[in-house]
Amino acid sequence: MRLALATASALAYAGVLAWAAARSPGLAGLLVALGGLGGVLLLGVLVRGMQELLAWALGTLGVVYAVSLVVAGGGVDDAAPLVATGLLLCGELAAWSLDARWRIAEDETVVRRRALAVGALALAGLAASALVVAVALAPAGRGVAWTTLGAASAVGVVGAAVALLRRGDSSG
Amino acid sequence: MTRLSSPRLAGYASLAALGLLAGLATGRVELVALAAPFALAALAGAALGRRPQLGAGFSLDRDRALEGDDAVATIRLSSASGLDRVELLLPLPAELAAGGPNPRALRLAAGEPRTLELPVHCERWGAFRLGPILLRGRDLLGFHAWEAEGGESQALRVYPSAETLHALLTPLDTQVFVGNQVSRTHGDGIEFADVREWAPGDRVRRINWRASARRGDLWVNEQHPERNTDVVLFLDTFAEVRVRGRGTHDLAVRAATSLAHRYLQRKDRVGLVGFGGFLTWLLPASGTMQLYRIVDSLLQTDIVHTFAARDVTILPPRSLPPKALVLALTPLLDPRSAGALLDLRARGFDLVVIEVSPVEFVQPGSDALSQLSYRLWKLSREALRARYEQAGVPVVAWREGVPLNVPLEEVGAYRRFARPARA
Repeated sequence: MRLALATASALAYAGVLAWAAARSPGLAGLLVALGGLGGVLLLGVLVRGMQELLAWALGTLGVVYAVSLVVAGGGVDDAAPLVATGLLLCGELAAWSLDARWRIAEDETVVRRRALAVGALALAGLAASALVVAVALAPAGRGVAWTTLGAASAVGVVGAAVALLRRGDSSG
Repeated sequence: MTRLSSPRLAGYASLAALGLLAGLATGRVELVALAAPFALAALAGAALGRRPQLGAGFSLDRDRALEGDDAVATIRLSSASGLDRVELLLPLPAELAAGGPNPRALRLAAGEPRTLELPVHCERWGAFRLGPILLRGRDLLGFHAWEAEGGESQALRVYPSAETLHALLTPLDTQVFVGNQVSRTHGDGIEFADVREWAPGDRVRRINWRASARRGDLWVNEQHPERNTDVVLFLDTFAEVRVRGRGTHDLAVRAATSLAHRYLQRKDRVGLVGFGGFLTWLLPASGTMQLYRIVDSLLQTDIVHTFAARDVTILPPRSLPPKALVLALTPLLDPRSAGALLDLRARGFDLVVIEVSPVEFVQPGSDALSQLSYRLWKLSREALRARYEQAGVPVVAWREGVPLNVPLEEVGAYRRFARPARA
């Protein structure tokens, strides 16, 4: 089971990387090289159990995608929600694979509920991401107010991230 | 309860923040879309981080078992708030094996207690403490874990299985108390011993009328009285050979248990001396309680390596009563125990050496030097055996898989033809 999960995680990673490379054929080599670096980090997570590297691997792939977006230019990438979901699935499956590395006899209910939870999270992430893209495409207007609101949201999320980080450090 | 958070939670939050900031900086909505699922996952993770209420109990269906028996550990779990994944582990020593899944992961519904039974197979004797059980609760997505211990530890004594012994060694001397052993001396008893001339004080019922009629004088019967014996089990705990969970000490303990059981059944007094790095002794006594004392003491004996010089003078005098039969169970590996046994013989004890053979546990190496050293080692053991035999001490080897009756019969045969010289 662990192998299947790790393979699925690696496949999700490879899919996103392939999509990013396909968007910018001129920079495909560089993007694949950068993505390969993240792939090595992901391998470290999957093979050696170094779970603290997971965010770095996903971040690297995110940077690859961002570079491909900036370089390719043009309109909004309609596949962005799928890319985001692929990244999230890559992380979740890798984490599940890590949890499965100990030989623990699991009740079927436990496995089924985790699979359902990961699926639900992926679907919710897909919906949230699609909502963001849809809202951005809607003619809701532009201006300082919207930029301020966006910046405030970003600061709020950063604040939440810092709070979670500090909470994580203080526990256990 | 210790809480542990996955680094993934902070990583997701950081990725979400990074994506939002990058989206603002570059004006690309895709980056915000990229951040959205991670922000959602981080929020879900934070929401799932409530401390669960988890109660656990642990009990064993018995506190004593025999080697090869199965004890059943019952684990009771309950959670008022419910828990999506509970991992539980009952740590077991190497001598015990779980007969079911251990560790195990399961789901606990809110307010619905669960009772799990885990068979524990007792593979080797020993005194153990099982529990508490180790618990780890996780949320649905594995963002948080809570670790705790549950239940009280329980004692489990696994007694060595005793062999069936058909015959026991007869000591050279008996003690003064009544027992089941026919004494060599003459006195009141059942077994006929001899006739002698009547003497004042002899009872009329003891007169042998036939012998008296034939000889013209009064002659009386003499009998062998039934007496008990003192048996001291002398366990050599200086060294052992152990290979893949099997060793000479295990065999020695099993033999000591079997002998103690059988001699005590015969109403003899049995004592125990553990002679090694850690000295233990039990004064000879009889009865079922003594059997439990001996077995409990045997469970706690272990091989303790020491460089200290030891001889029999450090033993309390009462642990080796006069005329006691000393049954030494030794792998004949340490010269200190070998010397102590010869010393006991020199002091006039009725000594029998049961050599718990380590030869089967040792494999000679493939190179010539290893083969030579192996042969020398076996020769040195032969020489030691010859020294015992010169002193009139029967030495019999007991190998794994051979019934203990066999070496005891060998000693019996030895004693029929050779008797230790009296000083």
